[in-house]
Amino acid sequence: MLVAGIDVGSRTIETLLYDGAQVVETIVTDTGSYPKENAKKAFNNLLAAASVKREDVETIVSTGYGRNYFEGADRVASEIMCHARGASYLFPNARTVIDIGGQDSKMIGLDAEGKVQKFVMNDRCAAGTGKFIELVSQSIEVPLDKMAEATVDTTESCDISSMCAVFAESEIIGLLQRGTPLDIILRGVFKSIARRTLSMAGRVGLNADVVFTGGVAQNAGVTRALEEESGVQLHVPPEPQITGALGAALVAAERN
Amino acid sequence: MQKQFDNLYGITPKSTDNPKAKQKQLFIEQEQARILSELPTRPSNISFFEEILLKRDTAKADKPLVGYFCNMVPAEIIHAMGAVPVRLDGGNNIAAITGEEILSGEICPVAKASFGIFLQEDSLASSCDLLIIPTSCDAKRKMGEVLNDFKPTFMLNLPPEQNHRMYIKQVYAEMKRLVEFLRQNLKVKLSKSALKKAIDLGRAKSSLVRRLQELRSQDPRALSIRDLFLIVQASAFGIVSPERWIEETTKVLDELKNAEPPKKSLRPRLVLTGAPIIWPNFKVLNLLEECGADIVADTVCTGAQSHFDPVVVEEKSMQSLLRALAGRYVFASICPCFISQNTRINRILELYESLSAGGVVNYSLRLCQLFDVENYRIGQVMRERNIPFFNVRTDYSLEDTEQLRVRIEAFLETL
Repeated sequence: MLVAGIDVGSRTIETLLYDGAQVVETIVTDTGSYPKENAKKAFNNLLAAASVKREDVETIVSTGYGRNYFEGADRVASEIMCHARGASYLFPNARTVIDIGGQDSKMIGLDAEGKVQKFVMNDRCAAGTGKFIELVSQSIEVPLDKMAEATVDTTESCDISSMCAVFAESEIIGLLQRGTPLDIILRGVFKSIARRTLSMAGRVGLNADVVFTGGVAQNAGVTRALEEESGVQLHVPPEPQITGALGAALVAAERN
Repeated sequence: MQKQFDNLYGITPKSTDNPKAKQKQLFIEQEQARILSELPTRPSNISFFEEILLKRDTAKADKPLVGYFCNMVPAEIIHAMGAVPVRLDGGNNIAAITGEEILSGEICPVAKASFGIFLQEDSLASSCDLLIIPTSCDAKRKMGEVLNDFKPTFMLNLPPEQNHRMYIKQVYAEMKRLVEFLRQNLKVKLSKSALKKAIDLGRAKSSLVRRLQELRSQDPRALSIRDLFLIVQASAFGIVSPERWIEETTKVLDELKNAEPPKKSLRPRLVLTGAPIIWPNFKVLNLLEECGADIVADTVCTGAQSHFDPVVVEEKSMQSLLRALAGRYVFASICPCFISQNTRINRILELYESLSAGGVVNYSLRLCQLFDVENYRIGQVMRERNIPFFNVRTDYSLEDTEQLRVRIEAFLETL
């Protein structure tokens, strides 16, 4: 059996091949301005990388914000279902999934069988999402993949009270002008994202095991802040951004 | 009758003349009509109802027009006094933006959109002669004071509790005061026989909506919830005589009776509850049906719920007729404006069980504190009974459509 999952997110596209037992191949690309074309391209690249033909793939499930843009899909599934499926495949004891993607964040409560019980999504702005971290990265001129590193030894933190991405940017500039060290500001940013995300916990509950997925889970600084703010240890998959695509592939395998 | 408003600080009513806004407002309505035209099954005379709602701007009545808000004003009294009642709660996003510019951005879209249409000189609201507004929320309570500068307005004071024994005298007195307000302004006396006739017509309307709802709950795709809302709302929000509306709705009912028996459907059956959904803002209904759900019943004051309770007349004296109207419109209301609201929860549970539904969806209108806070208790009650429950919180704008779609799809997947 060979099935595929494709997660067309707001910032990146993840494609993944699964053979019923393990992940065969994954490819992550930027969504860019042409999600339709780029999703198609990403999928073709995936096939090429695994040297398989389109006909060899029995079922394709697409998910994510652009799930309907990918025309080759046999069916679509919501990203809530896919993240839940992917997370409980990787961590069978998962009861809560925190997913922070490019433009939204969500918290999903699972039952003992890994089925979705409850879920909450953030409101309609970039606050506390990957896009927010990107904006901060640009305004303080620290590359995305160096942000967590910069705060490894930092214990102090400052308050970033604005949760609006635009207001927070001017708040950060103010802090910089007052001479607040960069690493302390960054810790403040991570903590504010953590608090924002955990505000959803009241409606879903934060039952262990908690799995942290999505592109932002690659940032160890946010993971650490979430753990400190919640007092709960998080399980982060080795490639957290492909969890949705993995879940989509698992849904495809089930329907097969 | 003592005046409710002191005109000492009366202000000149404002109006806006923005052809672009009017154009956009019309576009929203036509766009919703276009979306509805894609429904696979519709009553053959549905355009009759749609036209009533689409032509509201130009509709002129030969009788005095009495505008009102909410489902708590007895339209029967207005009919009986020779005037035409028209419900003015607004559902147009562009009208809400117009209203927001003058009144406030921090009140709910229904209030903003309702106010917005008063600012347009040739709108149906502007052609009203009188207004009746129940004190069903803070926005409406204070909007009445502003609108009184536009039109002579009567504020129908509601009791804080639906305690019949404690408050029936007060509500009855309010009904009498309403009759007096209409008598003074319309120069018409209310007769017992005219009121009885109007109540009978109202009862006939109610029983038609109940029959429609009963039939469609077996096969919700034979009559989409959106067409049901359209039919129900045409009777209150547009200008049509009850007799004419009854005639056309009877045709819909006959068609539904003769429809082929339903095929087995795997679509999830949901009960819809929450804030008013008003033409043309059918966004949430569009999404729910597009995502593959069937709405089998509602407890929405602009849907079938608005005709659920018939007026129960025991004696034919004027006093008992007015008391019967008070009983129906105030004490049987499911509005969250009363401090305790179990009627709505009872209705939801009853519908859920009797129609073997698969879940309950609550529509929470942004900036309506009443529905928003009540949603918490409803959610908990549903969860305690293991009833799948989902809350959609949104306003009239379309920008969150895709985010809502994700949430609705995900909820349906869990059923």
